[in-house]
Amino acid sequence: MSRPQSQAEYLARLVPPSVAGLNRRSLLAGAAGTGALLGTGLLAGCGGDSGSGSDSKDVSVGSNQSDPKPKDVTAKVMDGFKTASGITPAINTVDHNTYQENINNYLQGKPDDVYMWFAGYRMRFFAAKGLASDISDVWGKLSGFSDAFKKASTGDDDKQYFVPSSYYPWAMFYRKSVWQQYGYQVPTTLDQLTALSAQMKRDGLTPIAFADKDGWPAMGTFDILNLRINGYQFHIDLMAGKEAWTSDKVRKVFDTWAGLLPLHQPDSLGRTWQEAAQSLQQKKSGMYLLGLFVGQQFSNEEQSDLDFFTFPEIDPAIGAKALDAPIDGYMMARKPKNEANARKLLEYVGGKDAANITVKNDPATLVANSSADVSGYTALQKKAAELVGSATEIAQFLDRDTRPDFASTVIIPAIQQFIKNPKDISGLTSSIESQKKSIFTD
Amino acid sequence: MSTATVTRRTEGEPEASPRRRRLTPLRLLLHGFLITVALVWLFPIAWAVLTSLRSYDYTAANGYVSFGGWTFDNYVTAWQTAEFGQHFLNSVYITVPAVLLTLFLASCVAFVIARFSWKLNIVLLGVFTAANLLPQQALLIPLFRVFTQVPLPEFMSDSELLYDSYWGLILINVAFQCGFCVFVLSNYMKALPRDLYEAAMVDGASIWRQYWQVTMPLCRPALAALATLEVTWIYNEFFWATVLMRTGDKFPVTSSLNNLRGEFFTDNNLVSAGSVLVAIPTLVIFFMLQRHFVRGLTLGASKG
Repeated sequence: MSRPQSQAEYLARLVPPSVAGLNRRSLLAGAAGTGALLGTGLLAGCGGDSGSGSDSKDVSVGSNQSDPKPKDVTAKVMDGFKTASGITPAINTVDHNTYQENINNYLQGKPDDVYMWFAGYRMRFFAAKGLASDISDVWGKLSGFSDAFKKASTGDDDKQYFVPSSYYPWAMFYRKSVWQQYGYQVPTTLDQLTALSAQMKRDGLTPIAFADKDGWPAMGTFDILNLRINGYQFHIDLMAGKEAWTSDKVRKVFDTWAGLLPLHQPDSLGRTWQEAAQSLQQKKSGMYLLGLFVGQQFSNEEQSDLDFFTFPEIDPAIGAKALDAPIDGYMMARKPKNEANARKLLEYVGGKDAANITVKNDPATLVANSSADVSGYTALQKKAAELVGSATEIAQFLDRDTRPDFASTVIIPAIQQFIKNPKDISGLTSSIESQKKSIFTD
Repeated sequence: MSTATVTRRTEGEPEASPRRRRLTPLRLLLHGFLITVALVWLFPIAWAVLTSLRSYDYTAANGYVSFGGWTFDNYVTAWQTAEFGQHFLNSVYITVPAVLLTLFLASCVAFVIARFSWKLNIVLLGVFTAANLLPQQALLIPLFRVFTQVPLPEFMSDSELLYDSYWGLILINVAFQCGFCVFVLSNYMKALPRDLYEAAMVDGASIWRQYWQVTMPLCRPALAALATLEVTWIYNEFFWATVLMRTGDKFPVTSSLNNLRGEFFTDNNLVSAGSVLVAIPTLVIFFMLQRHFVRGLTLGASKG
């Protein structure tokens, strides 16, 4: 018997036929007995107050938008849907980290009709396991999405399973005032970047802020180097376990990175990204490769001083048009209680109105639908939207582009080890490759 | 410390207190050790309280080893963002019935084990005690499967399953906590004098009466001690609540603490404030029942 590919498969194998066919009625009687034993009235509040049922005016939405601002925006979008359709969405918010860690249980238990999730491999993974429903018909009614977004919403079987709502790009951020003060120019090739960094060192700045205490921020550096050196398709295949980590191509990525490491802030394993971002904010570092959320570490007055450029070209044959821009959006459960309403909701959240509500209420996100009215964007947002709009391919960030267990148990320690000891690249890549083989088993 | 006063007293009034021992170097050493240990234990709590009272902006700019930036806003924000009001109530829904049920069921089993000699006596005690050694996480997958298959009527849970219902969580907690309670209570009950039961039997008391009216009142200290422990344990439990629940609004307060962690950014001062808030009920329970707690445990231990 082959080894299970995922927790989902593993779980599925555990159900013996005897249980699968267990008589519901006898179980119900048992449960009722337990209920009678416990029935002290103390638990009257346990039933919950939402009068659920197969009423056709309801739809439930699982949300991981637990930060105050996005939570508020989600509520407003859902209000908009209620007004537009007369259907009442019930939002079930679970904090972002718990939601993510629990997604396997959640989807196999009794998920909400519509749930928020990520585009890319993580979406395709659950779609392939049958834990999401085909929503190609909804896509037929949607407009305003670029092909890159559609590609990111499509499963392995060429059907759509995902409606994008928002995204943010990864780029090199810097403070305009610092660059003006020293007269720096945006680098467009790796050599220019190295030369600029050398100049920054002479000016007493740390060229590139860097932090990897939590393990994930450095994935962004690996992603962009791989995208620049080997291109999008190789990157995606590598993430999907189809390419060898021991290949010369991957070696070259780590070699290049090792060359750039001295330009990065040292001792990065003891630093959180917030601290690295603060060094940029305090004008101690010249630039920082991070997502648009870096702005959270800047005060409102400083926001307009923040600017970015896309990571420079390394190989002219590959160019500098691909980038990481994780997309968040919505999917539909495998057996939604109110399927018709769920489809209506998906159509709404993918549409212009929902995007407009988001733009109006949250200046920190970019909406995926290009037909939205983006006159409310800040200069930074506009530039970010243009950057992603002009991208030929959009990667979703390492931990979203590959198996979650591979990203967290193999890549995080491997990259941290690399940062500690950038010399032993062949030992590192062969260790990753052998661990990869034990995780990606076909 | 009151070293100064102690010295003065021993000089001035040598016979002031017969219970006050003389200050020997060994005793100083003991006190020094005890103070150090107490400080080591108190430090993390004190640090959390201290952190929770400072604004993030200040500590971000000046580091945590600094002084200033005092504010109470973290508590207000924590209470509001994490919606602690609702979640504290959820914890009550789970903890109170679970503790009562655990104590009731465990005392029944303990009574049988302690008062009757029958074939499976030791085996039964062994099974209940051994269950304590089982890592709960090992049962996660089978339990998850069972829970998603057991239906409940809608008036009991809107999920219509044991999964995502308070009933399921209560059940799980009762199941896992019974073992320890049976162990403690049976030892305690074995120490009760046999004469009491003989007298009760002569007076014609039924088994139920012997249990409910003779044994249970005598077990009060042990029950109080267990109640303290169980409230703390069940209240602090968040693993099952996170795994077997899917509705964010139904999470107990310990699981909802995660609401204070941001997607990209975590304000440690805010999390400290939340943690202090969440820890308060267990402290209250402990200080309320502290007397019983110590007495109950030692009584159970000194079985003849």
